[in-house]
Parts: sequence; C-alpha cells; structure tokens
Amino acid sequence: MNTPQFLRRRQKAVVFVGFLLFALILFLIQLWLFVMVLENILAGKTGMVIQASAFSFLLLGINIWMLAGVKRLMKMQ
Amino acid sequence: MNDKLKEDFPIEWEDDHFVTRREFFKFLTLASGGVAVGTAALAAYAQIPREEIKFEAAKICSTEDLKPGSALAFSFPRPGDLCILVRKQDGEFVAFKRRCTHLSCPVEYEVKNERELLYCPCHNGAFSLDDGSVVQGPPPHPLPQVKIEVRGSEIWATGAIKGDH
Repeated sequence: MNTPQFLRRRQKAVVFVGFLLFALILFLIQLWLFVMVLENILAGKTGMVIQASAFSFLLLGINIWMLAGVKRLMKMQ
Repeated sequence: MNDKLKEDFPIEWEDDHFVTRREFFKFLTLASGGVAVGTAALAAYAQIPREEIKFEAAKICSTEDLKPGSALAFSFPRPGDLCILVRKQDGEFVAFKRRCTHLSCPVEYEVKNERELLYCPCHNGAFSLDDGSVVQGPPPHPLPQVKIEVRGSEIWATGAIKGDH
C-alpha cells in the first residue's frame, strides 16, 4: 500500500528537521572543542589537542554525511 | 534574467532574504568545516617546539656578589620582567622567573625544613629550586626557568626555558 503524497512530504520534513537539529548540536560541540583547545594551549597543556582536532573532523564527517543524506531524501519521489 | 529584472526594478522584498532550511543546513556544514580546520590549525600550532627561547644575553652579576644560600632579583629580558637568581647552598647557580604562576606575586628564596624553595607569600605557594615544579599551594604551573651561563667570574642570562607543562 502506497503512502499518500502529503504524508510522505510530512515525514520528510520531520526527518529533515531532526537532521538539522542534530547537525546544530554537533556544530555546538565543535565550537566547544575549539574553545577548549584554545584555552588549553594558552594554559600550556597540549596533551589532548590532536585528539580534540580529530574528533572535530569526525563531527564534520557526520555533518557532511547528513547533508548528503538530506539531499538524497529531497530527490526521492 | 532575474538579475537584470532586479537591476531595472531595484525593489527590496522580504522574500529576497529568505533562507531555506536546506541553505541553512549547507551553511551549517560549511561552518562546521571551518571550525574543524581552525581546531586542526590550533593543534598544529601547539606542536611547534618552543621549549627554549633565546634572548640577547645580559650580565646579571659577578659570582662573588652572591654567597651560597642567597638570592638576587634582576630583570630579564626586558626591564619589567622580574627574575630571581639563586645561589644554592651547594654553590650551584639557578635562575627563574619571579612571578608566581598563580596570581603573579613575586616569589622569594627561602629555606624551610632544610629544603631550599622559591616561596610565594601571597597564598603559600612554593616551587622547587631544581626545576621550578610546584611543591605546594595553588600555583597551577611550574615556574619558567631562566637559562644562565657562568662566563669566567660573571653570570649571564641567555634565555628562558618553559615550565614542564
């Protein structure tokens, strides 16, 4: 049984907003990481900056993956 | 065509500045990339070795000016940069920055319980004379060490060594 068009659109909108909110949370975590790295460097502690940087890139990867997913979702009929 | 129309009829509509959710998502991903690159740049900057910093050498005093178990305050490399030169009881010369790493009070040379220390009277902080490490109190970091050289009968300051933090 096919889902009606208007319901599919509503489902897509919900998925989109969910992805958007999640991307926003990931971005805030990235900002927090950036500030934490800066504070630690100014305090002379450099033991965790590489890991924090790698984690920030991981979050970027998730954001890009979600953007690609959203694009795919919008192309779906 | 649309741009030409806007040029001919330059009327601002609220819809001109409308940002769709998809555009916002793209912007967010772009900003996320910017922050990631910025964090990586900071991490790369932190890897640059700067343990030892060289300055123009400056004479502090002659070796005869300081008896074993005494200290002398001096400025290095600039006039306002407080430092302290200590001749330990065994005769060895050591020098450190004089500002406590807690709240920048000047530290003093003291002998407590037969142990030589650089003592901060403001909040009872103390640093080891061996490497400037924190022995007691609230200072969060070791005292940076001043590199000195004994040239004949004179003592010269030649650089600074960062604390081991």
